[in-house]
Amino acid sequence: MDKTPQTTPALLRISGISHKFGGLQVLDGVDFEVADGSLTGLIGPNGAGKSTLFNIVSGFLLPQHGRVLFDERDVTRDSVRARSHAGLVRTFQTPKVFAGLTVRENLMTGYYRHLRSGTAGNILRSPRSRQDMAAMHARALEAGERFSLQGVMDRPAGQVPAGMQRLVELARAWVSEPRLLLLDEPSSGLNSAEIAQMREALTQLNDAGMTILLVSHDMDLVDIADEVHVLCFGSIIASGTMAQVKIDHAVRQAYLGV
Amino acid sequence: MPSTAAGTKPTLLWVAALLLWAALPFVATRHMVDLLVFAGLYSIAGLGVAFLLGQCGIVNLAQSVFYGIGAYSVAWFCARKGLPVPVGIASGIVLSVAMAAVVGWPILRLSGYFLALATLALGIIAQVLFLEWDWITGGTLGIGGIPFIEILGFTFDTPARFYFLVWPVALLLLVLHHNLLHSRAGLALRAMRDEPDAAAVLGIDIHKLKVQMFMLSAMLGSLAGSLFAHYVTFVSVDSFAIDRAISFLLLAVLGGVYTVWGPVLGALFITILPQWLSRLGDIHAFVFAAALIAAVILLPEGFGGAVTNWWQRRRTRRA
Amino acid sequence: MSPDLLFQSVLTGLTNGFVYGLIGLGIASIFRGTRIINAMQGDFALIGGITAVLLLERQGWPMLPAFVAAVLIGGAAGWLLEVLLVRPLRRRGGTEDSYLLLTLGCAFAVSALVLYFVGRDSHALPGIGGEGIVVIADAAMRIHALWLIAISLAVMLTLRLFYSRTSLGLSMMAAALDPQGALTTGINVPLMRTLTFALGGLVGGLAGILVGPLITVYFDMGLLLTLKGFAAAILGGLANPMGAIVGGVTLGLLESIAIVTISSGYKDVIAMVILIIIMIVMPNGLLGRRTRKGG
Repeated sequence: MDKTPQTTPALLRISGISHKFGGLQVLDGVDFEVADGSLTGLIGPNGAGKSTLFNIVSGFLLPQHGRVLFDERDVTRDSVRARSHAGLVRTFQTPKVFAGLTVRENLMTGYYRHLRSGTAGNILRSPRSRQDMAAMHARALEAGERFSLQGVMDRPAGQVPAGMQRLVELARAWVSEPRLLLLDEPSSGLNSAEIAQMREALTQLNDAGMTILLVSHDMDLVDIADEVHVLCFGSIIASGTMAQVKIDHAVRQAYLGV
Repeated sequence: MPSTAAGTKPTLLWVAALLLWAALPFVATRHMVDLLVFAGLYSIAGLGVAFLLGQCGIVNLAQSVFYGIGAYSVAWFCARKGLPVPVGIASGIVLSVAMAAVVGWPILRLSGYFLALATLALGIIAQVLFLEWDWITGGTLGIGGIPFIEILGFTFDTPARFYFLVWPVALLLLVLHHNLLHSRAGLALRAMRDEPDAAAVLGIDIHKLKVQMFMLSAMLGSLAGSLFAHYVTFVSVDSFAIDRAISFLLLAVLGGVYTVWGPVLGALFITILPQWLSRLGDIHAFVFAAALIAAVILLPEGFGGAVTNWWQRRRTRRA
Repeated sequence: MSPDLLFQSVLTGLTNGFVYGLIGLGIASIFRGTRIINAMQGDFALIGGITAVLLLERQGWPMLPAFVAAVLIGGAAGWLLEVLLVRPLRRRGGTEDSYLLLTLGCAFAVSALVLYFVGRDSHALPGIGGEGIVVIADAAMRIHALWLIAISLAVMLTLRLFYSRTSLGLSMMAAALDPQGALTTGINVPLMRTLTFALGGLVGGLAGILVGPLITVYFDMGLLLTLKGFAAAILGGLANPMGAIVGGVTLGLLESIAIVTISSGYKDVIAMVILIIIMIVMPNGLLGRRTRKGG
């Protein structure tokens, strides 16, 4: 797909992010953009600073320098909750499903931020409260079908196999109707069949219009991306399509020492 | 009626239980009924502590504070000022909830040990203040002359009569609690208990929910305290010391914090057991402590949880 | 308020402060070694105190052996706590809340046992130097209080040397910081955890026999001591057990000054309010570095 960067607005813009842990400069002036509607990948070897950057973008870490702009708004200091209300939703490297809730209930929680019934109303089972529950049930049902989770809907999420937990987390994120979905190493712990499923699911989501930023060290997963940025030793050393990046001189040096 | 046999059996059970409950005050001794009334009161206060622990992971050792505020509000507005019963109860609730909001907002940012010990510190502060501020509370001399509750000419002035007031209230609160658990807020609570980070990512305001739950817990403590005052008609500081807060926590843990009716079991345990042990002197305090330790290690879901699990296993075996 | 009164309250605050510091030292040591906040630390003091009382009054033991035995019994209590209760809970997957409930339960159990077997009365303990008093600039201070301060400082120094110079102490630190790594170097990590609790028990028992002569020994002294010790530990920074002594002294002084400016009935309220404030405002203490945020 040919995108002209100047006309497609950047949904997410990372500008000059630097961060130091102790004496180690983990991130050093990171700049890149994620275009609206794109499937963007951020790759790099382990220890390159991907997790740190991810936590900064998703609001779990305050960067020492630089800015994060979401929809042209500076969200660098915004809380995780504020970002979620803006539509920025992330998954976790080890899937964080709510173990005590069933898969269905996990999916239902995804719709939480779109509803408004208050605690008092919930206790008294007000009409709005009942509407909200119905809406949550409906979305959960939809998600269950879309992600083929019908078989485990009523099982406690903690008792579902790990690969499926990742799917539950992804489905839950889909339920929340994010503007930007951030995926943290979504292929870790998956076998090759499950990775293929994941590729399929993500491609479908993106085709349906969801903007996705995929952070991974797994080249095979990331090649579904339209655009890829390579993070190495704290800064972006190359950007472009997967094919371009693979033959990029700097990348080859970093990965292969060539 | 073979096709409805499966449906009538549980209904019969419920009816039988209801009849048994209703008959108790007429067959048991007055002393026993008195204990059952206290079990009802403690169920209400203990429910507050239980859901805060079970759904939010918060160990609340400050419930005695709100129990006391509820009782003293009734003593002040009804006994001292002669205002009608609803005023006393309502003002207790308003004061407790307001206090829970003001105090809760900063301390609920803490977690784990810090938060639990902060609530313990609150309990001790209140214990001392109840004693020192004797112009409000009457100190160790207490306040007497609290009127009985009267509804449409019917006065709840005996244990048997109060039994029929406190238990329906407790049951209603359990139903409302059930509503909460199976609502949007209930899902959010359990989500934030299981994985706070993931809950935040979905837009759940963890801090605000915790404060709301703390306020609800305080409301329950206050209501229990107000009813207590209208039952015993005389209140003094001894009832609102830190060991009261410990009893509430104890009954919550023993009864099981993950089941809706757990607090009832726990309350029955802590009111009836000392009776059986009274021959042995002041040993019940130790038995309670030992029971708490045993529950924490061996039965973390409490009696209620054990019963629920047993019931689940029976159902899956039959199916 | 006269300067004499102020100075007297400073001396009292100092003495109390070292007691809180000792309790806090125990709490912080156990926390550093096991990540568990021991809610029964004050009750280790009760155990030490009541053992001394029973040995002196009912068995007629002389003072020094009774005190030594009391401290050792405290250590034994710590040992038993870890082996009999903490370990099984660990095996079943203990969470922060469950460890707290466990140690709280133990605190109540000890208090209830003392209540049952010894009763509600307060029991006096003889102090070091008897009832002797020393006069410092028109203010009086018991000789025992001076000993208390000296012994507390000695304990602090000893522990510091123990953790940094002896191989056992270093092993305990290693087991706490990196259990996996310590195991591979042959350190018996579970034993180190038990020893940490035993050490906490020893320090707690010692605090008991030191504070007993000042405030008497009674069945529900434990909880308040634990809370104040906890405040001392936080002020000093939970990651730094030696800081607990500094934290304790700070707390003791603040408490004393507040008493003379407000009223003695509010003594415990003041300490509890200080505890809550420092937990919110400076959870890493005056000396501690950035470790955990808000508990």
